[in-house]
Amino acid sequence: MEKSGSVDSLGSKRTSSRQPSVDSLSSSSTSRSDRSAQVKPSSAMSSDSVSTSTEFSPELRVKPKPKALRDSVKEEPQLLPNEKVQDMAHDVTYVCPFTGAVRGSVTVTNYRLFFKCMDREPAFLLDLPLGVVSRVERIAAGSSRDVSYGLVCKDMRNLRFAHKQIEDTLRKSIFEVLMKFAFPVSNGLQIYAFEYTQVFPENGWKVYDPITEYKRQGIPNESWRITKVNDHYELCETYPSTLAVPVNIPDEELKRVAAFRAKGRIPVLSWIHPESQATVTRCSQPMVGVNGKRSKEDEKYLQAIMDANAQSHKLFIFDARPSVNAAANKMKGGGYESEDAYQNAELVFLDIHNIHVMRESLRKLKDVVYPNIEDSHWFSNLESTHWLEHIKLILAGALRIADKVESGKTSVVVHCSDGWDRTAQLTSLAMLMLDGYYRTIRGFEVLLEKEWLSFGHRFQLRIGHGDKNHTDADRSPVFIQFIDCVWQLTRQFPAAFEFNEYFLVTILDHLYSCLFGTFLCNSEQQRLKEEIPKRTVSLWSYINSQLEDFTNPLYVNYSNHVLFPVVSLRHLELWVGYYIRWNPRMRPQEPVHQRYKELLAKRAELRKRVDDLQREVTNRSASSSSEQPGSPTRSITPVQTFV
Amino acid sequence: MFSVKTPKPTFKCYLPPVQTDVRKAIEPPIKKLEPTLLPGEIVVNEVNFVRKCISAESTQDDLWGRLICTNFKVSFIPQDAPVKQKTPLSHRLLGEHDIPLTCLEQVVTVNDTKGKKKVLGLNKKLKFNPTELILYCKDLRIIRFCFDEAGPESAKKVCLAIAHYSHPADLLLLFGFEYQGRQYHESKGERVRGANPQGRSQTPIFDRSSDWDREIKRTSASEWRVCAINTDYTISSSLPEYIVVPVSLADQDLKQHAIYFMDNRIPLWCWSHPNGSALVRMASVCDPLQQKKIEQKIAAGITKSHPHRGEPIKLELDKNLPNIQDIQAAFIKIRQICVIDPFEESEERWLSSIENSRWLEHVRIVLKLSADVVFHLDGNNASVILQEEEDRDLNCVVSSLVQLMLDPHYRSRIGFQSLVQKEWVMAGHRFLDRCDHLNKSDKEESPVFMLFLDCVWQMMNQYPAAFEFSETYLTVLSDSMWIPLFSTFLFNSSKQRAQYLMDFAKSKAIPQGEDHVVYFPPIWNWSQQFSIKDLTLFNNPMYVGKGAACVQNGEVKTFKRTKKSYSSTLRATAGSLRNGVKNTEDALVPRRGSLVSELRPDFSPAKDESPSDRFFRDFFARPADQQGLLIPLFMPSHMALWKLFFLRWVSEACIPRGGPITAYHKLSQLVDEIDMLHNQLRQYKGPTPSSTPLPSPSEAPSDQRRMYFKASSAHDPSTLPDFLTSTFPFSPRGNLCRRSLHGTPISKFLNGAKIWLSTETLNDTV
Repeated sequence: MEKSGSVDSLGSKRTSSRQPSVDSLSSSSTSRSDRSAQVKPSSAMSSDSVSTSTEFSPELRVKPKPKALRDSVKEEPQLLPNEKVQDMAHDVTYVCPFTGAVRGSVTVTNYRLFFKCMDREPAFLLDLPLGVVSRVERIAAGSSRDVSYGLVCKDMRNLRFAHKQIEDTLRKSIFEVLMKFAFPVSNGLQIYAFEYTQVFPENGWKVYDPITEYKRQGIPNESWRITKVNDHYELCETYPSTLAVPVNIPDEELKRVAAFRAKGRIPVLSWIHPESQATVTRCSQPMVGVNGKRSKEDEKYLQAIMDANAQSHKLFIFDARPSVNAAANKMKGGGYESEDAYQNAELVFLDIHNIHVMRESLRKLKDVVYPNIEDSHWFSNLESTHWLEHIKLILAGALRIADKVESGKTSVVVHCSDGWDRTAQLTSLAMLMLDGYYRTIRGFEVLLEKEWLSFGHRFQLRIGHGDKNHTDADRSPVFIQFIDCVWQLTRQFPAAFEFNEYFLVTILDHLYSCLFGTFLCNSEQQRLKEEIPKRTVSLWSYINSQLEDFTNPLYVNYSNHVLFPVVSLRHLELWVGYYIRWNPRMRPQEPVHQRYKELLAKRAELRKRVDDLQREVTNRSASSSSEQPGSPTRSITPVQTFV
Repeated sequence: MFSVKTPKPTFKCYLPPVQTDVRKAIEPPIKKLEPTLLPGEIVVNEVNFVRKCISAESTQDDLWGRLICTNFKVSFIPQDAPVKQKTPLSHRLLGEHDIPLTCLEQVVTVNDTKGKKKVLGLNKKLKFNPTELILYCKDLRIIRFCFDEAGPESAKKVCLAIAHYSHPADLLLLFGFEYQGRQYHESKGERVRGANPQGRSQTPIFDRSSDWDREIKRTSASEWRVCAINTDYTISSSLPEYIVVPVSLADQDLKQHAIYFMDNRIPLWCWSHPNGSALVRMASVCDPLQQKKIEQKIAAGITKSHPHRGEPIKLELDKNLPNIQDIQAAFIKIRQICVIDPFEESEERWLSSIENSRWLEHVRIVLKLSADVVFHLDGNNASVILQEEEDRDLNCVVSSLVQLMLDPHYRSRIGFQSLVQKEWVMAGHRFLDRCDHLNKSDKEESPVFMLFLDCVWQMMNQYPAAFEFSETYLTVLSDSMWIPLFSTFLFNSSKQRAQYLMDFAKSKAIPQGEDHVVYFPPIWNWSQQFSIKDLTLFNNPMYVGKGAACVQNGEVKTFKRTKKSYSSTLRATAGSLRNGVKNTEDALVPRRGSLVSELRPDFSPAKDESPSDRFFRDFFARPADQQGLLIPLFMPSHMALWKLFFLRWVSEACIPRGGPITAYHKLSQLVDEIDMLHNQLRQYKGPTPSSTPLPSPSEAPSDQRRMYFKASSAHDPSTLPDFLTSTFPFSPRGNLCRRSLHGTPISKFLNGAKIWLSTETLNDTV
């Protein structure tokens, strides 16, 4: 690793330069920040994270047991199954950007970094899954005898540690050890998810079954069939094995369509409207090239998609890209459908930028919010990152798709270049707006399994699990952006989603943690080859085993309720609970949900008391055998209401 | 004639408008449309065949009807019976299409074909026949009427009448005086018979010494007394007749000191902390030579009233806060961005535009200064003197915010209203000038009270369970400023009120000695404006409150608790609240011990930490006690735009079946159900069931429920009412018609083609 010594590489100039700076609140309170976002499933959870000094953690949950911690002499974290301590060091200083330096001990396992300071009252803990680490850098510490290491994390924070120069030249710094385990893929080691053997009551690998999901949508029907043409991933290796296609296109023709679509990603059904039969289909760009190549089969195929919906004689093709980018793709053999070739089709560009622009935007956002929030000109700074603008364009695109399908009763085809980034964002968001099922916890899991995992969003490449090559241009926060969009929807429709903010944060945390197998690999084929479902635990196993933590108490399941969000910066907000959660100053909003739960408890208590009294009255009146028409027994009924 | 173009996709939702068949047949109305008039209200002028624009995007929803100007309001009576749509929050004294004249900010007439435009003022002439009338309202609505089918002369006359009557020459000409005079005599019989026994509402007015006495008692401010030297306003013309002063200062001393203060304003006691520290507000001393001496004397008096003889801390608001012109300028800018600029245009640089308006910065700085005062009072055990040149603007804002943060009593609705009475109405905030009710001078106009309401909203946004009232209440309260029927927001001072009301009483033959609250009531009796059912929209279902009755106990208790906590660097786990897991006892145990002792000094965060920083850090580290001290976070990143207020008329920003109201809906239903269960329990606990038949719970009058949304029954699946939108209970429909998209947009004339506009037009651009 390069000993650049650049503090810059940490992306935290401010950390070093104005370290213990005190601007009123910002540096004052301790950090909720300094705990790993990660959650220890099951029993491990109790010891969690949570330095007791880290209030306001969004995901701090469940009984932190400060007493137990204080009493116990052992300094190791409670280890997960097959988690092994690799190294340990005392007298390490953690330079917290919010509370200043803390001296304590560091433990590195094959899963996590665990920092603990027992001198503080309450004990200060930091528990970080190594999967979160994007890079580790040794920072030249000038004349001082200290060696300093910076950990750049994928979850919007940087950590800095320092310890004394090691005299014994044979001994490695614990952070050199950490580097080995933080990047198992680069070092020929196993990702921890393959070692983790926790058993949960629920089996998350069973959440998604494509046949069941298509059946739920009413597929197969007279217009759509399930094909096994991709059973062995021969048609398209980044697609799932089960595909839904128009009935009248035989498998042989599908192959010819595949030849005309980038990476063989042919248009296939994502969602069908239960009444109008208008569909959302997804694919990659057509291989038009500079010469404007055409494919009769592809044209016929799109016509078939249109014909499958009797309600409309039009087909909308939504190209997620800006038109300039789409045109530029012709140079590389790609491009977009010409309206001449595809009759009755209307092409719309949605102006969503590519993965590189998004990566840059998130980097800028991190500069603005971490470690210190740029308070002077906060709004302008936020605006200059363009993050919310990108969110807006994605949501706007999804809204147009949803509206075409719902209000226009018209089928739509969605693609970008390869059809696994922007396309996944658009189809899944449109489906969330259109179909209340996806707004339940299980439905959302199905949506992710289907539109993202099975259709080959390249999680391994976009996140870079266990890979030390942090400058890889394939990395991009496409999925984070999608979850952000979902969060924006939950803000606009606080009662429309069964899951809460914590559910979304948990998904993002385990996107990186490498504890679960869910987000490993790039495609269904790879996952099958690696035997992910056999060898790892699904994130949904963990989540579905404790649903209550992830449930939005305000949820109301209104049937056939299509969400039309207002896609305007007036309503889009920065997701403080995720991007700025490390900063103790950004206290989460006072909990509406908490209050709601208190009220629910109150209702339960009152109901019980009423029931008890009612029983008493009934008994008494029975004994005196004087039934009265207006007796409470009857009048109570209307109040025994719904939940 | 206007033309109907094919609707274009507009910004809203990126969705094109619903395709509609071209033109709706225009049939000028035939039947006579009668306005609903209040007692004493007369029609001044009227014109028929007027088209009211309903949506900016198309004309198909436009209403045809009659436009009327009365001595109270501009009224539009649609010819077709309004489509049966549920309009929540209907005003008892104003129809859906009515605008009180005092609500008008600007009256603009336009001639489309000639490309002319003129802002009408008092006695302005109009040299062209208007084709359009645009009314810019003080509550941010923009209402447009078109005269394409109306008689040009009558249209012109109505426009001029509206302009004329919205610029009354004298306060007594405001319709409230006429109205309340009639009301008084008409309802007199009822009052005598005892039909309206309460007379005064529950909200103390602070126009009599007993109200102050009660407040002194409530806050245990035993070292303070009510002083009557300003009876009949003999000392100061802007102070109330009764004020509260340190017991150590005799009336004679006060009279001597008074002359040195601006408008003889003796410093006023506002509130006392349970620890004995007092909040005092004060004008500046006019004579610089005497300043030090006088201020010392006052300070000495306040010191003597402090239990530890602690010297008061003086904060000069003029130096630290924006002045009224800054506030007005910021409000104009943010209004421009939110409602006047075309939606899409302001969308482009929305965040930086909001920032550049500086409105949120002003809100923030006021909150921050108030939090500093809280620190002195609560963390520092020191009395605080707020000093402002006149003591009539920002002192009102800061003193009320400080009390809201410190005293949960003021977070109940009655408490909040008494706070407005005490710190605004009685302390002499110039509502008449700041609201510019007579549309006289822009110089004095400034939305200082709005700034306060926005600050309250920010607190509410951060502590949604701490206030008994809802944001709907705050919004309706802001609207009430523009309805001239009640006394609260009409006057510059208590003396002015007394004088005007005396003249008024004489002229209306109201007997001397009658309580002015009876013959010219304040707005606090909300049932005069809204139905009982609508008023339940003021209630916050999340409120964690104690009934008003036991406020005092609760308060004392919570204060004790918080005080104790400040003494240590308390740490407790608040995060666990987050996920709905209750705090375990463990987590709540306060821990002593220094955070910094073990740190290398150069890394210590507390190195430069001031006591107030530490105070705030400690406060924010603890879970908030909804019935205790509440300090809002006050960095720029904590400020939010009050969408219900600023965007309620903007249809493009209206989320169908979404917004915070959907959560409110669910919460209300739950609370309603809890209330019902409580009722049942109460009935069970009544007389023994065997002896008396129990009243059925269904007999309880349903309109007496606290919640607007009632618990639905098991048989009736819960549905989300269609009328629930993010702007509920307000509707953007017809309330924000910026510029014509049909015909030629006026803005195009003004931006692109100034050459051929007449000079008259150019000089009067909005």
